[in-house]
Amino acid sequence: MNKLIPLFFLVFSIEISGDEENKLDFNNDAYPFSSEAKETLFYSLLNELRCPKCQSSNLSGSNSPISNDLKREVYELVLEGNSAEQIKSHLVQRYGNFIIYNPPIEPATYILWFGPFLLILLAIFIILFVRKR
Amino acid sequence: MIPEIGHIILISHLVLSFMGGILPLAAIYSKNDFLSIPTKKLSVFLFFLILVPFLVLIYSFLIDDFSVAYVSQNSNINLPNYYKLAATWGAHEGSLLLWILAMNGWLIAYMFFNNSKDKDYISTVFSISCQVIFAFSLFTLFTSNPFERILPIPPLSGADLNPSLQDIAFTVHPPLLYFGYSGLMIPFAISVAAMLFSKDTKEWASNSRPWTLMSCSFLTLGIALGSWWAYYELGWGGWWFWDPVENAAFIPWLLSVALFHSLIASENRGVYGKWSILLSIFAFATSLLGTFLVRSGILTSVHAFALDPERGLFILGILAFFIIGSLFIYSIKDFENETTPSYELTSKEFGFLLNNLLLVVLAVSILFGTIFPLIYEAITDGKQISVGAPYFEVILFPFALALGLLQGFALYLSWGTSSSFKFLPRLLIESVSIFVLILIILFILFDNLHLTSFATIFLSSWILMGTLQINKNKNLNYWRFLRKRAAVTFAHSGMAILTLGVAVVSSYSIEKEIILAPDDSVEFGNQTILFKNTEDIMGPNYFSKSATMSFSDGSNISDVLTEKRTYSPSGQLTTEAGIKTEIFQDLYISMGDNLEADIWSFKVQIKPFIRWIWLGALMIAIGSLLAGIKRVRKT
Amino acid sequence: MKKVIDIFPLAIFVVLLIVLFSFLSEKDDQLETALVDSDFPDFSLSALSNDNKTLTKGDISKLPALINVWATWCIACRVEHPFLMQLKNESVLTIYGLNYKDNRTKALSLLERDGDPYEFSIYDFEGRLAIDLGVYGAPETFFVDKNGVIRERHVGVVDETVWEKKFAKYLNE
Repeated sequence: MNKLIPLFFLVFSIEISGDEENKLDFNNDAYPFSSEAKETLFYSLLNELRCPKCQSSNLSGSNSPISNDLKREVYELVLEGNSAEQIKSHLVQRYGNFIIYNPPIEPATYILWFGPFLLILLAIFIILFVRKR
Repeated sequence: MIPEIGHIILISHLVLSFMGGILPLAAIYSKNDFLSIPTKKLSVFLFFLILVPFLVLIYSFLIDDFSVAYVSQNSNINLPNYYKLAATWGAHEGSLLLWILAMNGWLIAYMFFNNSKDKDYISTVFSISCQVIFAFSLFTLFTSNPFERILPIPPLSGADLNPSLQDIAFTVHPPLLYFGYSGLMIPFAISVAAMLFSKDTKEWASNSRPWTLMSCSFLTLGIALGSWWAYYELGWGGWWFWDPVENAAFIPWLLSVALFHSLIASENRGVYGKWSILLSIFAFATSLLGTFLVRSGILTSVHAFALDPERGLFILGILAFFIIGSLFIYSIKDFENETTPSYELTSKEFGFLLNNLLLVVLAVSILFGTIFPLIYEAITDGKQISVGAPYFEVILFPFALALGLLQGFALYLSWGTSSSFKFLPRLLIESVSIFVLILIILFILFDNLHLTSFATIFLSSWILMGTLQINKNKNLNYWRFLRKRAAVTFAHSGMAILTLGVAVVSSYSIEKEIILAPDDSVEFGNQTILFKNTEDIMGPNYFSKSATMSFSDGSNISDVLTEKRTYSPSGQLTTEAGIKTEIFQDLYISMGDNLEADIWSFKVQIKPFIRWIWLGALMIAIGSLLAGIKRVRKT
Repeated sequence: MKKVIDIFPLAIFVVLLIVLFSFLSEKDDQLETALVDSDFPDFSLSALSNDNKTLTKGDISKLPALINVWATWCIACRVEHPFLMQLKNESVLTIYGLNYKDNRTKALSLLERDGDPYEFSIYDFEGRLAIDLGVYGAPETFFVDKNGVIRERHVGVVDETVWEKKFAKYLNE
């Protein structure tokens, strides 16, 4: 196993610093992290980001070359300490909103986000109106 | 020669279904008995006229007749016989035959077991169904003929069935789903006939209810099997992805659930008749719409069929004809004998109204979310957007919460008057105790409590106790329970179990990507995973690299096999996950990439309670099937 | 009043049908270009021809230019190859190659055999610059104007028609 570790430093070209905080605990992880919070963030992002080449799959569910590249990109961004929002906007800048399964809230998507709740309010309003009569 | 026989019989099916769609109506409206035909016999005859082409296609697959284009595209000499059978409905053309077969099956069942004595009305239901069947038959022959030949020089071997469809669940999943979709034809035809004959709401609702329930049951089974198939076959361990194809099945499911609930009110109280008619129409419309979305290629998806805008246009035409036609009748019809519902806020009627409101708005929202990427592209001039799981989960949650809360006490409500809520304190105490019990069990099992899952877990205990306790109140003996309450108890408890499964699997699942060399082991959750060795396997039509992995939790050790298969004819790759199933969790491992020599990456997951989702769905399906069959036999 | 309400479902459904019909007719499979009108991203990668030579954004100096994403595993790239050669031979504009997730030796021998339309090719084995460009696969082509700004992107084969329709207009600016 030991020979793998340098391999991965090579592949991911991670800067090794002496700083305890950034020490990575490998434990055979493909994506080793210094803290559990970062690891959780990483895997939750993989589930939210879309594999651009696949017909319909997130990064977590895909092993295609481009997904692996994007996983590495997300991994590095998480290691650098970026927040979920920063990482998503980093990728949206490059790939557009297509890359995230969670559509942003903007004027063109108001109807998507608020439509269902407006519709239910409207329906309740109509029922109450009919009931009164 | 044999495929031509199938082709000719399919053409005669087209002709006869056309006559079935016209003659009975002509006879009724011209009052000319000369035109009337024996509809019962005709339904059986029609069934055979579609069964034979279907069998011919199966036969062509089994004897490797690659001169049939459809066979050569979807089969291969080395494909095991079992999958040759499945390949018959593995792609667009053959699945249409199966669909028509299912519609004819439903029609026979309806003709022989319906509970109406009004001959003209039944002939009309028959006629409308025949029109639908005719439209599908026409669609098949004109745009998707499965018997088209490659002559004079047929290929020596075929292109092979899509490898991810070479699977046991996949042999059963489409038939069940098509049975569900096509079953919705009957409530649709009934609703149109009911309008034409100004049927009394109670009467037609009781006529429609068993068929709606049974269609819904098949839809439930089909969807659940599809989810299970995706879970273990696609190799990423997801059980529901909110993919357009999944949504296309989920929307009619929601509407059919809404419909059979609304029909309960219509049958018992004569209320919501117009609403039930609209729902019958739209449930059928969304089942066609789903077909359109999947097969026209306007939305891309994992399971998308051969993409062809011409087919899309044809399906749109069918949709336009039947739905505009029926909605037109609806809009000009004078519903004078409609009972105005009593909107007592705590009456059972109002409970059903709320249930329908939530289900229908949810269905509309999911439909809108599914096609929204196209709308967005149009309004932003080419910008693209993805609407996926994170969005749908946010939308679903409040609806599911409201529906679940309602479901918990819905069975206690009384018809017509304000209900008494004396049961409430006891129900609350009981469901809170069950809730606490579940939390304790979860804590013992997983050493962890997730706050985010509390609401959903409470919901499931609330639904469960609301379903079970009411039977106690009614003091039923065993037989009366079976006859009166078993179906609803089963289906509603199934919902509780499904809810619990979803709650736990979505908050307790863990996943990780790991890298192992043979004999390496790694700690994951409460498990130690050991990579034993790799092995090369030659399958009948694939080559596979397999890895034997062993899971150990200290006391139990068990081996699973995960594979990366390369299918020889097409060169396509699939990942076969290794899954170890326990009562409370699945251990799931799938092979990733070969990094160097014998060093591989793996994705490993623990999925607690995942089986409970399908168990719940199975109970819902059994419950609604029981309810349906019971009402067929009552007559 | 009652009648008007009864027409509602029909009206809603007809609208839905029209919307679906319009989706059916206008199906353009071009991908969105998130980076249009932004600066060409920074990078630091080796040259295809020489592993020891590091290329950066500064090396893309002959502007305006096309950046063409290609690879030997990409069959469509070979289809557009002659057209790229033609652009080069007629000195229409400079083309830079981005060799994407490829084998260096194979890539060089392909250029040897079929001709090299590129000023130089950047070797991007790990797809780093590709991610910064929002690349989905090969072939893809970007137009970078004289100020180093990305103006247009095309996914798929570039030929005469695509050139005239999408790129030529920026050249005359």
